[in-house]
Amino acid sequence: MSRVTLILALMAGFLFAASALAGTAPVSLGECLAALAGQGDAATQAIVWEIRLPRAAAAFVVGAALGLAGAGLQGLLQNPLAEPGVLGVSAFSALGAVIAIFFGLAAVSSIAVPAAAILGAGVATLLLVLAAVRGAGSVTLLLVGIGLSSFAGALMSLALNLAPNPYSLSDLVNWMMGSVANRSWADIVLAAPALAIGGALVLFAGPGLRALSLGDETAASLGADPKRTRLLVIGGTSLLAGASVATAGTIGFVGIVAPHVIRPFVRHDPQRLLIPSALLAGIVLLAADLAVRVLPFQQELKLGVAAALVGGPVFIWIAARLGRSSS
Amino acid sequence: MISVSGLSVSLAGRRVVDGVSFDMTAGEFVALTGPNGAGKSTALKAMAGVAAAEAGEIMIGGARAGSLNALERARRLAWLPQSRPVAWNLRVEDVVALGRFAQSPGAYDRLGDEGRRAVDTALAKADAGHLAGRAFQALSGGEQARVHLARLLASPAPCLLLDEPCAALDIAHQLSLMETLGAEAASGRAVMVVLHDLELAARFCPRVIVMDQGRVVADGAPAEAFSAVNLARVFGVQRAPSGQLQRSP
Repeated sequence: MSRVTLILALMAGFLFAASALAGTAPVSLGECLAALAGQGDAATQAIVWEIRLPRAAAAFVVGAALGLAGAGLQGLLQNPLAEPGVLGVSAFSALGAVIAIFFGLAAVSSIAVPAAAILGAGVATLLLVLAAVRGAGSVTLLLVGIGLSSFAGALMSLALNLAPNPYSLSDLVNWMMGSVANRSWADIVLAAPALAIGGALVLFAGPGLRALSLGDETAASLGADPKRTRLLVIGGTSLLAGASVATAGTIGFVGIVAPHVIRPFVRHDPQRLLIPSALLAGIVLLAADLAVRVLPFQQELKLGVAAALVGGPVFIWIAARLGRSSS
Repeated sequence: MISVSGLSVSLAGRRVVDGVSFDMTAGEFVALTGPNGAGKSTALKAMAGVAAAEAGEIMIGGARAGSLNALERARRLAWLPQSRPVAWNLRVEDVVALGRFAQSPGAYDRLGDEGRRAVDTALAKADAGHLAGRAFQALSGGEQARVHLARLLASPAPCLLLDEPCAALDIAHQLSLMETLGAEAASGRAVMVVLHDLELAARFCPRVIVMDQGRVVADGAPAEAFSAVNLARVFGVQRAPSGQLQRSP
């Protein structure tokens, strides 16, 4: 394990402990530690174990999935602005989930929503990679992503117009803004298989991503099959983005910021970028969720909004720097 | 080592390589020359497996190229393309380590002793040992070219194909490149290098293949391949009394 990974893992552990402490119900440090150890009164134990920790775990897992998906997509498309949110993958994934809900599939099976979200993510990723294979540059890809995002948003609104019940608008807000409030262990367990398989696929593509840095043809001549790498990353990021959207709605920009920060620490290597990016994105989302919980707003700020408030400016900054270096 | 028979390749409906045949045995050092658009790079690409052959057969180390998977082919043959993009600002030694992808797909520090030694040796052969540890995009064009050469030399493949490796190199490094490739051939590898500098080809390569309009028009010792007739017909030049090449009138 590299030093970067170790430091990030320690930070994540610290934030987990902090998130067990933070919240509206007053729980002292001593009570909190007792509850973590499985002692103390039942109410405190419930607050720590059934409300705060699953929420923290959901934030971390979703962040890590988005960070890994972002790092994988960036390596594949060789574009530091690639990320499920920016490229419309998350929006398509949310569209899949919304369709599943409004067609009543969610009532049929609990895995219908995650499955539809993953399918939506897969469709968007496939379209993007088709564009990339046909030689689309950074700008084209981002434009395709913007198009996919807006299109998915419009289709979601359409689905809601057709939806019979009045609660759907707040549902839409939840899907589009993203939140991990009130998530239970069951939600995490539901997403876990897709996250685990998706993560494994992307990590498996790691060496191929480094070879791909020398271009498709050279990579092929080196013995790294670019098609296989592409399939692994498409499949992996679809699973990761889909499962994270099914858990927390769409949360943008985290997957872009984390790899950008990590890259200089891992010698710009697309393979070594993967795990630290996942950890950092998890940390970022965990910290953002902590902030959302302690900030004194009347109504809780949505996690996706908090992430975008920080991530948006960073995205613009990276884009501006890229524009300068390529012009 | 490598044998090409009746190879034809079409790009966008145009036949770029048209019935090319030659054999190359271990220890041979062959220059592939010809005017722009003669099909040299495409022929190399077909041998490297990145351009689809329309007709003909390529045998690499006794096996049909089409029956080899990417990994098996990479163990037998290494290719240095003409365009050498490097996305991301990789470290020099990580770029070179990719030359051993078929042996071990790890980054430099995960290669193991043997792999790291091979990378270090390759960097030294390409006169790029001092560049180790540097970021690739901070290097000059010539330095980047030498790192790419080291990437090729790091591969233990018995057959090396180089497409215009001299571009961006200063004269001293061009000469040292040709000496290095000669030494690789002497150590038993089959080396084919696409060159535009006929003097360099004649001086270092015992065998020259000349291509023109997709066909092999000469294959032999430099004196024979670069005969006055071939120079005039293929390259449109003639040798002046001073020994210099000049455009045919």
